[in-house]
Amino acid sequence: MASSDPAPAVVRLAFPPLPALLGTVRLVVGVVARKAGVDEEGVEDLKVAISETCAVAVNGLEGAGLSTPIELDLIEEADRFGVEVRDAAPAGERGAAVPPDGEVDDRQFGLALVDALVDGLDDIRLPGGGHRTRFWLPRARTELPPPLT
Amino acid sequence: MDLDLNVQKEGDHAVLRVGGEIDVYTAPKLREKLIELVSDGEYHLVVDLENVDFLDSTGLGVLVGGLKRVRNHDGSLRLVCTQEKILKIFRITGLTKVFPIHSSVAEAISDSTE
Repeated sequence: MASSDPAPAVVRLAFPPLPALLGTVRLVVGVVARKAGVDEEGVEDLKVAISETCAVAVNGLEGAGLSTPIELDLIEEADRFGVEVRDAAPAGERGAAVPPDGEVDDRQFGLALVDALVDGLDDIRLPGGGHRTRFWLPRARTELPPPLT
Repeated sequence: MDLDLNVQKEGDHAVLRVGGEIDVYTAPKLREKLIELVSDGEYHLVVDLENVDFLDSTGLGVLVGGLKRVRNHDGSLRLVCTQEKILKIFRITGLTKVFPIHSSVAEAISDSTE
């Protein structure tokens, strides 16, 4: 299946861009990913990737003065588990997960960390405004029993 | 979700024990504590991350900010961490070359005073 046309989401969340909610989002994503067969190391990587991506969206929406919900899809395909995050932050307003207070000045630091943790990071601006970020982790292979004879 | 912060003096060092999740929501609390310690004249810090369940780039940014602040006073900031999931974030970002990372508070203080 082409990466631009993933399977339908098995779980879909929409939540207001509030930093206080990110812990709950990580919890939900962790449970669904574990159930889908992502191993424990993958689940921890996924939690960091989700947190970074959503923090970038939260900062971008806050910067633009918007409270538009962030949408998150969790996708199960045969051998991989996917996450898609969509936000309505206008171009140029998207912030890094690290606040611009001089602590770390690289605005893309958060997404660079995501790229190091997951497979196939695809981060695009949507034609109608906003962003869509998608990435994948492998699911554990389930050995099928031998065919009945 | 909250962040537990506990400070203890160990000789010339202030040991900051952190518990919970460090993300974009809780990191400001850690930043304020580090600023407060430096403002109080504590320039040799040991930050114990053994009870941290989650750390993202916002938390890394706060720790780097703390390191910059103590270095402005010829101080030091050492980390204590043995959790692989947390160490992985430091390795990926290259920050293992920036922070001395120890397996215990005693080791951090011992290495600092050598």
